[in-house]
Amino acid sequence: MYTFKNRSQVWDTVGMWAWLFHRVTGLALVFYIILHIVLMGTSLLRGPETFNSVLGFLMGSTLFLILDLLLAAAVLYHGLNGIRILLFDIGIGFNRQKEIFWVLMAAGLVIYLFLLWRVLPEIF
Amino acid sequence: MTLNVKVFRFNPETDKVPRFDTFKIEEFPNMAVLDVVMNIQNYHDPTLAYRCSCRIGMCGSCAMYINGRPRLACRTQVSSLGTKDITIMPLPNLPIIRDLAVDMEPFFEKYKKIKPYLIPKQDLKEPVICKPDSGERELIDYMLECITCGACYGACTMVATDPHYLGPAALTRAYCLIADKRDAATRERLVIVEQSEGVWRCHTQFNCAEVCPKKIVPTQAIQQLKKRCVFKRLGLFRG
Repeated sequence: MYTFKNRSQVWDTVGMWAWLFHRVTGLALVFYIILHIVLMGTSLLRGPETFNSVLGFLMGSTLFLILDLLLAAAVLYHGLNGIRILLFDIGIGFNRQKEIFWVLMAAGLVIYLFLLWRVLPEIF
Repeated sequence: MTLNVKVFRFNPETDKVPRFDTFKIEEFPNMAVLDVVMNIQNYHDPTLAYRCSCRIGMCGSCAMYINGRPRLACRTQVSSLGTKDITIMPLPNLPIIRDLAVDMEPFFEKYKKIKPYLIPKQDLKEPVICKPDSGERELIDYMLECITCGACYGACTMVATDPHYLGPAALTRAYCLIADKRDAATRERLVIVEQSEGVWRCHTQFNCAEVCPKKIVPTQAIQQLKKRCVFKRLGLFRG
């Protein structure tokens, strides 16, 4: 009889965005791994010259190295938020989930800035 | 101080699409959002439909979507919203009867599925002993505070995307009974909650815990149930 529903959602919670980014980075990492294995595998099968030239091309490309930095960010986020999710699976941290998230993100930022400090001079 | 109040209006018998009505309401000290809604009905538009009863946050009738979150209208102070612009909509994920009143039937249908009542063990000769310092009822006791207002149900994105998901309130109730030493239907209830549209639909987003007016964390109950479901499948579940 009544069909209309209010479809408004809650948009200002930390946990939902943490989950959404976890999903997005997770899917991105899965696709990356498939791409990585296919590319490395096929170029290896074609012999050492092909492999070396493919790797040389990729490692010489600034765009590719910047994409690699994005990859590092995705791994870092997925791993750190993964720690938070594992804590819930063990059964702790429920009343402090937001604080745990921000502490882990702060740690991630420190690690990432350190990474940039070490890696950026190599790229440019 | 004048409040700008936008209220969701929809009458399924006469309206094709919902609309928003705007009202200017004089704020008074300690005004709750429910006072705003009553004020509108008393002095501005007597046709406004909403549901409320106790006005002290124990009946769970007046949950509405207020400024971006499901909240109990009677327990939400206007001053706590931090703005003079208030938008009031019916609770999400539930069919609308009229204006701000939703049909709670789907919510309670799911609540009934987990058999929300104690089924006592018949073969006990001695009373069950729950030692106060054992902590075994630590979670149960505060989760029994649930007033089934449906705020968690309205906030859950998993309920929004899967109409068959049992939802945080029903699963929390299931946990309270499954973890109860005196209950005989533990396994029966576990069979219901271990379905993919039971505990496994929860992705620990904590929206339910953020909006619960009783500060319950249903996520914790659901994680406890997931643990028991895994143990049960592995044949390690006792009780």
